[in-house]
Amino acid sequence: FAQMSLSGQQPSYQQPSYSQPLSPNLLAPGQQPIQQPPAQAPSSQLNQLYGSDLLSQPFDVRELDLPPPPINLPPNTSVTPSPYANCPPKYVRSTLNTVPTTHSLLKKSKLPFALVIQPYTSLHDAEDPVPVVPDQVISRCRRCRSYINSFATFLDHGHRWRCNMCNLTNDVPQAFDWDATAQKAIDRWQRPELNYSVVEFVAPQEYMVRPPQPLVYLFLFDVSYAAVTNGLLATSARCILESLDRIPNADRRTRLGFIAVDSSLHFFSIPRDGGEASEPTMLVVSDLDEPFLPTPEDLLVNLSECRANIENFLNKLQPMFQDTTNAGSAMGSAMRSGHKLISPVGGKMVVLSASLPNMGYGKLEMREDKKVLGTSKESTLLQTANSFYKSFAVECSKAQISIDMFLFSSQYQDVATLSNLPRYTGGQTTFYPGWNAARSEDAIMFAREFSDYLSAEIGLEAVLRVRATTGLRMSTFYGNFFNRSSDLCAFPAFPRDQSYVVEVAIDETITKPYVCLQTAVLHTTCNGERRIRVLTLALPTTEILSAVYASADQQAITAYFSHKAVERALGNGLEAAREALQGKIIEIMQTYKKELAGGNMGGGGIQLPQNLRGLPLLFLGLIKHVGLRKSAQIPSDLRSAALCLLSTLPLNLLIQYIHPKFYSLHDMPDSAGVPDETTGEILLPPALNLSSERIVPYGLYLIDDGQNQFLWIGRDAVPALLLDVFGTDDRNAVKQGKTTMPVLDNEFNERVRAVIEKSKDHKAKSVGSWIYPPLYIIREDGEPSLKLWAQTLLVEDRADQSVSYQQWMGLLREKVVQ
Amino acid sequence: MDYETLKEHWSEIEDRDGVRLSWNTFPSSRMEASRLVVPIGALYTPLKEKSDTPLLQYEPVSCKAPCRAVLNPFCQVDMRARLWICPFCLQRNGLPPHYKDISSDTIPPELHPSSTTIEYRLARPAPSPPIFLFVVDTCQEEDSLKALKDSIIMSLSLLPPYALVGLVTFGTMAQVHELGYTKCAKSYVFRGSKDYTAKQVQDMLGLTVAGLRPNVPPQPGRAPAPMGPSARFLLPVQSCEFQLTNALEQLQKDPWPVANDKRALRCTGVALSVAVGLLETSFQNSGARIMLFTGGPATEGPGMVVGPELREPIRSHHDIDRDQIKYYKKALKFYENLAKRTAHNGHIIDIFAGCLDQVGLLEMKGLSNSTGGHMILTDSFTSSMYKNSFARVFDKDANDNLLMGFNASLEVLTTKELKVTGLIGHAVSMNKKSTSVGETECGIGGTCSWKMCGIDPTASYGIYFEIAAQGGPNQMQTGPQKGMMQFLTYYQHSAGNYHLRVTTVARNVSGPSGDPAIAQSFDQEAAAVLMSRIAVFKAEVDDGPDVLRWVDRMLIRLCSRFAEYRKDDPSSFRLEKNFTLYPQFMFHLRRSQFLQVFNNSPDETAFYRHVLNHEDVSNSLIMIQPTLDSYGFDHEGGQPVLLDSTSIQSETILLLDTFFHILIFHGETMAAWRKAGYHEQEGYENFKALLEAPKEDAKDLITDRFPLPRFIVCDAGGSQARFLLSKLNPSTTHTTGSYGGVSQTAQTIFTDDVSLQTFMDHLMKLAVSGTG
Ligand SMILES: [Zn+2]
Ligand SMILES: [Zn+2]
Repeated sequence: FAQMSLSGQQPSYQQPSYSQPLSPNLLAPGQQPIQQPPAQAPSSQLNQLYGSDLLSQPFDVRELDLPPPPINLPPNTSVTPSPYANCPPKYVRSTLNTVPTTHSLLKKSKLPFALVIQPYTSLHDAEDPVPVVPDQVISRCRRCRSYINSFATFLDHGHRWRCNMCNLTNDVPQAFDWDATAQKAIDRWQRPELNYSVVEFVAPQEYMVRPPQPLVYLFLFDVSYAAVTNGLLATSARCILESLDRIPNADRRTRLGFIAVDSSLHFFSIPRDGGEASEPTMLVVSDLDEPFLPTPEDLLVNLSECRANIENFLNKLQPMFQDTTNAGSAMGSAMRSGHKLISPVGGKMVVLSASLPNMGYGKLEMREDKKVLGTSKESTLLQTANSFYKSFAVECSKAQISIDMFLFSSQYQDVATLSNLPRYTGGQTTFYPGWNAARSEDAIMFAREFSDYLSAEIGLEAVLRVRATTGLRMSTFYGNFFNRSSDLCAFPAFPRDQSYVVEVAIDETITKPYVCLQTAVLHTTCNGERRIRVLTLALPTTEILSAVYASADQQAITAYFSHKAVERALGNGLEAAREALQGKIIEIMQTYKKELAGGNMGGGGIQLPQNLRGLPLLFLGLIKHVGLRKSAQIPSDLRSAALCLLSTLPLNLLIQYIHPKFYSLHDMPDSAGVPDETTGEILLPPALNLSSERIVPYGLYLIDDGQNQFLWIGRDAVPALLLDVFGTDDRNAVKQGKTTMPVLDNEFNERVRAVIEKSKDHKAKSVGSWIYPPLYIIREDGEPSLKLWAQTLLVEDRADQSVSYQQWMGLLREKVVQ
Repeated sequence: MDYETLKEHWSEIEDRDGVRLSWNTFPSSRMEASRLVVPIGALYTPLKEKSDTPLLQYEPVSCKAPCRAVLNPFCQVDMRARLWICPFCLQRNGLPPHYKDISSDTIPPELHPSSTTIEYRLARPAPSPPIFLFVVDTCQEEDSLKALKDSIIMSLSLLPPYALVGLVTFGTMAQVHELGYTKCAKSYVFRGSKDYTAKQVQDMLGLTVAGLRPNVPPQPGRAPAPMGPSARFLLPVQSCEFQLTNALEQLQKDPWPVANDKRALRCTGVALSVAVGLLETSFQNSGARIMLFTGGPATEGPGMVVGPELREPIRSHHDIDRDQIKYYKKALKFYENLAKRTAHNGHIIDIFAGCLDQVGLLEMKGLSNSTGGHMILTDSFTSSMYKNSFARVFDKDANDNLLMGFNASLEVLTTKELKVTGLIGHAVSMNKKSTSVGETECGIGGTCSWKMCGIDPTASYGIYFEIAAQGGPNQMQTGPQKGMMQFLTYYQHSAGNYHLRVTTVARNVSGPSGDPAIAQSFDQEAAAVLMSRIAVFKAEVDDGPDVLRWVDRMLIRLCSRFAEYRKDDPSSFRLEKNFTLYPQFMFHLRRSQFLQVFNNSPDETAFYRHVLNHEDVSNSLIMIQPTLDSYGFDHEGGQPVLLDSTSIQSETILLLDTFFHILIFHGETMAAWRKAGYHEQEGYENFKALLEAPKEDAKDLITDRFPLPRFIVCDAGGSQARFLLSKLNPSTTHTTGSYGGVSQTAQTIFTDDVSLQTFMDHLMKLAVSGTG
């Protein structure tokens, strides 16, 4: 086996090259191997600590784009020389890429040890395929149930393998080297699970409690006055209609059901195509206390067999309710009925609502009081108002039902309470405040997002478990799922656009030079195949604190603390969450100063290792984030929705959400906004620090937090610029607020649009996501509220009730020096 | 007058006023009245069809409150002073101004001596067009469901186009179809197992949506809902016929699976309660018919009469007798409450049962009995018995108006010597007190006013009276003293307005004690029917044997009182002509299905009793004592023969009419010839004609009959012949041997019943002994 050559120098982390072509049998049919080789420096040397002063060397936000500190495993750690043997950071990132061998060292470091796990990097397998082990030969450790992986070792002439987690020696299965289909021996070293740290096993019968369930989507439409008049019903119905071909249905087993909800529940019985009847029948159930299914037939129908009649139904759905004056919403009762309808199979409940559920099960009250915002009492608004939403979510999880909430109210909707349902069922809460289909941007954006959402290849009946080298223990799990037992997370549906944080405890002293952490997601694909996605990460160990610091991943750490902050905000309040964040960053800096910088803060500056220089800014971003910042202006629904995103977004989007991207466009380099000559990818201008100091009055800027984009026009923007970008030289003629970029036939307009588009590119960020942020045009001298909103994203600025970056650093320095 | 003349006279009165009285002369004292045995009663058919009476297009002239008696031919009118004296309260009333031109030559129609019954078309319009709400059971086989759907669709063409219609269907659950919704088929579904309150039903149908509406700005160009929220469910036939026909045609068998050892879940109770609730809010006191079509018993929810397990049989009379039934009392209570509500709302519930087995009519009977609804018990909705009876409901008069009245009530006024003690028939008490209300109660008493809701031209009511304690001559009257009754029937006419039918009855009051006029005025037919109604009324609450003993006791006492005899000498016993048939009627009543329930199912009993309480004297008599005609070569056409086993002869054909059954029975020889096909051979035309004759007569009998009777053709020795045998007087039972010169060919009936002869012997013995 060839050894890989040493390459790259600190701290510029170059990618090693690996020219050996992959053998095609490692891939499932139709898949292209596009995994990027990970940043793996094949050196036994640990990362070196490079201190730096944040005052004398101000933080440049471009440092945030650097990859995490490399994982330096001892040579020959993996059983094959594959460059893919260790898990790439786009799937799993550890807060510490060098693991302390003892609990006390970890404790001393004040750093967290946690994994940020993102099992999927795209909505569709084809966009980022992983190698599949198709032969159903799954070799697992008898004791710890780990899957054989590239860090296992073979003994006894290859007849046995030693588990790299618990050291137990296991027999290699007979079929391990035998291709049953071709009836011939295969080369063990070509097996994907020994070459790739991220693989998928096709699971045999034993992994199924029941035959793989079909994909089920049950749509719950709000048909009250609010949802009909704001166009939600029409838009959702049309969008589903137009997306029927995109809903995964390769096995032609996908089933759809529809319930419309106002003060009653409206069920629809949809006949099969080709029969006598083609019209839907509406069955109204108003018994909200004991909702029931009005008929045993045709409420959940096969998409392929009823396609034409489903289309007919969706075309009629809006007209059916267009004259409504009903302001009731019995969504809780509707969900109960939905549970009854799909619980024999399981599946997705997709709730599309523009109202507060004000009747029936889980009835909620308008509890927001403007006077409470910004006070200590505000936190109660972020808590669950009705225990139904937690207990029902658990019921759903048991029945393999996942709930996604799409919320559109222009009035209080109690996102805090409603979001419990997705939280415990592997779902997602998506909030569109003030959405109205009459605004074409709103309609188009939602239709595009919803269509992408429907197209996603979700997993079903999934469980996630993380196993690790003896001595390590998964202690806490963060994310949207139900923690069924101490280490098992249950997902009725496994989404492809979320990540999870798992905190790791060190229970015993680690004696090995490296540890392994293996994440396994057992799931049913939406094609009805039972599979296990396995991600194995190996990390070196150390007894030295500096090595721990030198390998700490500031983004993963921020992800971990954003989860902690959300947890604390919901449990102890916003103030407590902010204080804890501040306390934590001070603690880390104090520890660094005391233990590693020799207590010397030379020149009165603030020191942190190179790889953690962004931490104070990221923490400040978190404290000033809409979900957490001190303010009397933020409606609690907006806060709750933000907290939901903070606890689910994949890492790259999360960091952008906490610390938005900021680009100057009027003076962007010639290379920006045009495709790179070698990769063909659009290049972005260099990211700027989020400070209004960077804004010149004649400039044009893009601020993008991944959820919203703001195009900022300086108050002195010259007519020529305006003409190029917007097609008018009259600044007052440029439409403010949510809008679409005009498509003009000039190079600069094209480049600006290219930058705006590229900034949304999920693929480039290695994340699966269907979020398509709306674009707001902001004139510096225009609508003040819009301007204020965009300014809240300028994290380094001083704002109403929060400090500037400079003040923040001053405050930290003061505390650290004490 | 001799008896035949009297009978004719009474018949004329019946034709004119729809009234038959048990006694046509009223005793002058309470003492005398108590010795009549048979109470003073009237069998009254308020809407009896009459061709000659004009419909008055003005408001009636009424006496002052509280009397409110209506001006009638028995009033004294002072033409000059333009005053009239009310015979009921003796008050003077002025005639209204527009009567200024009346004189003894020009009197208004209501004062004409022949206008003892007259009808006014009141200015008060009905609050809404008549409503027909179909409540359809879908737990049926395809063919019977299809037949049922077809019949309902057909009925739409029989309704006036402005009539409102609605549809409720039920099986495991109950569904209210929103016919006003045109985007797709839409219905509101109710859980079959839950006892919904009226308020819940109305909330769930969105009939009380106030408070749920946001501030909706008026939508330009959108018309407001025509008639409030219930207009979504109840629409004029002309505007929703397509929608309703569609809904009916799309109707499928209840989709919920039924295991082999189970009955279908059928929530009749919930369906009815939902139907009642639907009408309750918006249409109280508007004429409405809820027409229930059920194909089996309720097995689910409130009102269930049998469990869904097939091995659990539906209750029989024996089970009820032994108090061994799980659901009976609960179901009865549920339907009684529902019936009360419905009657209070002024609505009608009809029950059409199409099922070989029972459907729970016994439990549900109150629904029809309290609301003037029909009860039609048939084997299947595919049967002609169902189809014809259902179509007959929509019969129309000469003006093309449906022959049915809605939201009807009846008030009875009496002069002071009479008091009303109660009513037996399909009605409920309106609890109205007046000076006409008597001290005792017979039937539904303690009131002078009853609500019938549904009324039709043949609906007849038994109304009972007593003689007031303080009798005394009426100073104001000249000539023989008269006791008077006035019947005021208010109802919503199917043409739209309210009508008032007024019948005023006046009869002489007897002279001093012992006046033979009383006995001569006895109408034995009316009396038998009125007594039958009392007996059946008692049978609903008392034990069977107690009722039979009561019937016997009353008969013996009547005979003791009115027969001529020497004490303790039965052979001297003689009855006057107008009493002679009465004991026979009672004999047959005792043996009838009305009182002998064990040969019938509880449902049949409920059905038979329902019909008895609806019919007039002559139809009721057919039910009590069926008619039997004999056809033979020796005489032309049918010849009435005794309802006796001796009437069965091998060379005759019998035609039996029990009202519920019409049976043609071929004597042994006749049957043999028919089997041999002689009637199809040349030279046997007379036999062919003989076979046809009873059929033709049967057709005539069926013409006016409602519900359509079951038609049976059978032969001697055939199993169907049991229907005939059960009705015949067992003069030749297996225990009597040869008796009284009975022909050797007579049929022997295997029964332990006493024969009429034995019955009469006992009666005479007891009557003359004075122990009755
Ligand atoms: Zn192991
Ligand atoms: Zn009077």
